[in-house]
Parts: sequence; structure tokens; C-alpha cells
Amino acid sequence: MPALYPRKTPSARRERESYTQCVITLAWPPQAADHTDPPGVAVTIPRTPNLVIRLESLGVRLVDRRRGDRRWVLHGLDVTVPRGCVYGLIGPGAAGKSVLLKALAGLLPIEEGVVAVEEVNVAAASALELEQLRRRLGMAFQNNALFDHLTVAENIAFPLRRLFTPTEDEVREKIAERLACVTLPGFEGRMPPGLSGGQKKRVAFARATITKPPILLLDEPAAGLDPVTSQRLFDLIRKDVKASGATCVVVSSDLDRLLPICDRVGVLVHGELLFDGTVEDAKRSSDARVYQFVNGLPDGPL
Amino acid sequence: MKNPMETPPPLTEHDAFLVRLGRVCIDGFEGGRALSSLFLRTLWFTFRGSRPKGATAHEAFEIGNKSLGFLALTMGFIGMILVYQSAVQLGRLVPDYTMVGANYGELLVRELGPTIGALMLATRVGAGMAAELASMVVTEQVDALRLCAADPVDFLVVPRFLASLVMTLMVVVLSSAFAYGTGAVTAFIAFDVRFDVFANLSLIDFGDVMTGLAKCVAYGAAIPICSCHCGLEAYGGSAGVGRATTAAVVLSSLAIIVLNFFISAGAFLVGL
Repeated sequence: MPALYPRKTPSARRERESYTQCVITLAWPPQAADHTDPPGVAVTIPRTPNLVIRLESLGVRLVDRRRGDRRWVLHGLDVTVPRGCVYGLIGPGAAGKSVLLKALAGLLPIEEGVVAVEEVNVAAASALELEQLRRRLGMAFQNNALFDHLTVAENIAFPLRRLFTPTEDEVREKIAERLACVTLPGFEGRMPPGLSGGQKKRVAFARATITKPPILLLDEPAAGLDPVTSQRLFDLIRKDVKASGATCVVVSSDLDRLLPICDRVGVLVHGELLFDGTVEDAKRSSDARVYQFVNGLPDGPL
Repeated sequence: MKNPMETPPPLTEHDAFLVRLGRVCIDGFEGGRALSSLFLRTLWFTFRGSRPKGATAHEAFEIGNKSLGFLALTMGFIGMILVYQSAVQLGRLVPDYTMVGANYGELLVRELGPTIGALMLATRVGAGMAAELASMVVTEQVDALRLCAADPVDFLVVPRFLASLVMTLMVVVLSSAFAYGTGAVTAFIAFDVRFDVFANLSLIDFGDVMTGLAKCVAYGAAIPICSCHCGLEAYGGSAGVGRATTAAVVLSSLAIIVLNFFISAGAFLVGL
């Protein structure tokens, strides 16, 4: 039976609540700082208070449709991300960085291992539990993923309207606050196809953060931008993440701008995590591949 | 322990053939299962979903209003060709054209109107649906929808499904009426068949109308389901969008032809 989760139907909602024996919080603003309530019942895992994300032997296998078979994209991954940490995920192209972010968000099937995000095992979570988790999670996609048929304001407000039940005044207020934060005031009525690359990235960041999520996943937030715009965007991320206290996983190839804002860094190569530690340790790593990549050296095993 | 990340050894020619054969069978089975699953989920969300207001009306405008001119033009020309060719062939047997309009009317209501109209609609609407959804998939917009607890089937497929169900019927009826008109004009100009003689509906009975309506509804459901399935299964950038668009037109057309056969056969079996 496919996963079905119709929303906003009172009878369906009551039915789901009684079935799962858990309470859905629809209050606005969300209780971002409150991490004590269990988000699910069936697949909750032992509480680790200081860890927001915990991966154990994670394996993700995706269908390679060109070759017609299934390939392991991630295998045997063990990662922990403490609360409030900015975790930089770096590595060469096709290493599986974006796949890992999507696995954390429950957007991909997980074949083996545990993906624990806020005590919810994403690999075994039901649609309802994923929906609850996603209320506490914001994500900016590599391709921005802005809805072309919606205005900038409607794009930014989309997660807010779907995941919570705010009043229209609150929505307008939050949109204006987010647009001011990403220095795009007055862009409410613009359509995404008419925006520049940097503006799209900033709108995507505003959409990811409008619900003030305690977990933030950013996939190449400054890809394809000029150095000035890129630096401004990373400054914005650092300021916003530090202010909200969110736990953040950032994937970026722009190491010069990413590493200064990271508390920890992970180096992913061909689906395997070669390094997990502080930025300073990464720069002094004894692994030749890690050393070469983090220091940006042209000659080496990579 | 064997590392699954390692590349497997190359296959022999015989094994490679078996792998390809098995892959084709599995792909066919999985494709059919995915298609039926999408149809069932679409039906479910039709009654239980929470799609945005006005989405169905917007899609109805895109499918119906914007296709009407194209369909009327196509059906009009097909009507002219068909009446001319059938009258020429009839004239070789019996030089009496009084029943041309009656036969053409029955054929149009029962077979040609729905099937040709739906095939034309599949090329225009089906390709558009698949391209739109495929580009949403490859630019991660569908992932963004799922992240916001908005099911892509509810948000993207159901409005198109409902709009297509209604508008396919409307557009086919209107374009068939236009085709009947162009046929009448052709019969009058080429064979001196008066309009009142051509407008002979005596051969059209309840069974013809019901068969035609059933086909319209079935095609109206098949086009969005096949097209959206191809769109949502897209992968691989702009090339993937192109593949999805082509696959949508092929699959929708195939579905129309197959449905036509089964509905016609069913109608004959029950005596309609």
C-alpha cells in the first residue's frame, strides 16, 4: 500500500492521531527550543540529548537507470552531529553529499543502518512521523527548487502554510522579516524565473528558515555565485544559524568560505566518510586524500 | 567481507543477454505496478486530498480552452477527408449519397470523435504535463513539495486528472460537432448532398452515445495518469525531460488504442 497522508481533513487527522497515539502540534510559532517531546512512537530510538543527527552504518542504494542496476551511493557511514553544531560536508563531485542530505530529510529510501534525526529513525518512520520531523527541519536544495508558478512570497510561505496553521498576518510578517534578513525587501511579488542566481539562492535560504527549524540542511547554498555574493551568503548563514542556535549541515565545494563557519567537518569520497572531526584536524589529516582535498592541492591521490 | 562499493566483474555475453531480458521483464512489471499505484493514489487523493484552491480550474483552462482550437482544426480537416474518401468509395458501389451523413455521424460518435480527439489531446496536453512534471523532478521541486508534506500526487496529479476527465469530454464533443459540420460542408460542395439530408442521425442510438462517452471518460483518465507517471519518473536533467515527454506521448497513445479496443469489444459483447 503506498504511503498516503492527506492533510487538513479533520476526520482523517483525528483518525491518524488516534492510531499513532501521539499529539500533533499545530501551534505557531513552533517550539524550536523545546526538544523534550517525543516526535513519534513507533520508531523512536534511545535518546541521546546532545546529538541531533546520528548515522550508524548508513547504506543508501539508488537505481542507476542508465545502467539499469542499483548502486551503493553511501555505504557504512557513521556520523554524529551535536546540537547547535555547524557541520560542513565536503568532498569531490559524485561523492554522495546531496544524497546524504536527502537521506537525512527522509526523501530517499534507506536500505541499511540507522538515520536518527531528533530521535526519529528516518529509515523506518511512517509518513506521519516524517511529517512531524519535517516541521523541525528546513532544507535548501542545490537547484533552489523554487516553485516557478508561485511568487517569491508564496514560495517562502509555502512550508509555513503547509506544516503549520498561521494566520495571514503572521505569514505576511514572517515573509517580510525573512526577505529583510536575506536583503531582498520588496521582492514579494516577483516570480522566480525573473531572479538572478544569487537572489534565487537567498530566496531558497529564506524558505528553508521561515519556520525557524532547529535542524537546517543546506545543499550548495552558494554554488555558481560570484565571490562577493557567495561571501555575503555565507555571512548570512553564519549570522542566522548562530542567532537561531540551529543544528546545520552544509554541503559546499567553496571550502574557503565554508570552513570558517564550521564547527566540524566531514570528508566524503565515493560514498565513504574518510574524515569526521574539527576543521583544524582536517587540515592536518594524515589521510592523503583528506589532506589534499581540504588544502585544495592539485597533486595527490584524488 | 565483500565491499558492495566495488565494481562487479564483467558478465559473459550469454549472461548479459539474460540480464537484459530479465531487466526488460522486471521494468515492464514495475512500470505497470507504478502506473496502477499512481492511479489508485490519484483516486484516493481525489476524495481525501488538500490540493490548493483553483488548481483544478487552472488545469481545466490549460487542457480544455487552450486545446479547443487545435482539436477543432484537426478534427475539422479529418472530417473533410473522411467524408470525401468515404463518399468516393461509396459512389463506386452505389451512386447514392443520402446515407453518407448518417454513417459518418455514427462513426464519429462511436469511434472517431473520442479516439482521434484523445490522440490529438495526448500529443498536446500529455506532452505538456510530462514536461512540466519532469522539469519539477529534475530541479528538485518535487522533493521540496514532499519536504513540506505536500504529496506530489495530491498537488500535481489530481488537479490534472480531474480537469482532464471533464475537459476531454467537453473538447471531444465540441470538436466532433465541428468535424460533423466540416463533413457536411464537404459533402455539399463535392457531392451536392444537402445539409438536411446529411444531418441524418437515425443510425446513432443509445449504445453509440454510451460507448462514445465511456471512451471519453477512459481517455480523460488515461492521458493524465500516463503523462504524469512519465513526468514523475524522469531523471537526468534536460535530456530526462525530453525522454519523459516522448514516453508520455507514446504511453498515452498506446493506452488510448488499447482502451479503445477493450471498450469497443465490451460494448459489442453487452450489445451496445
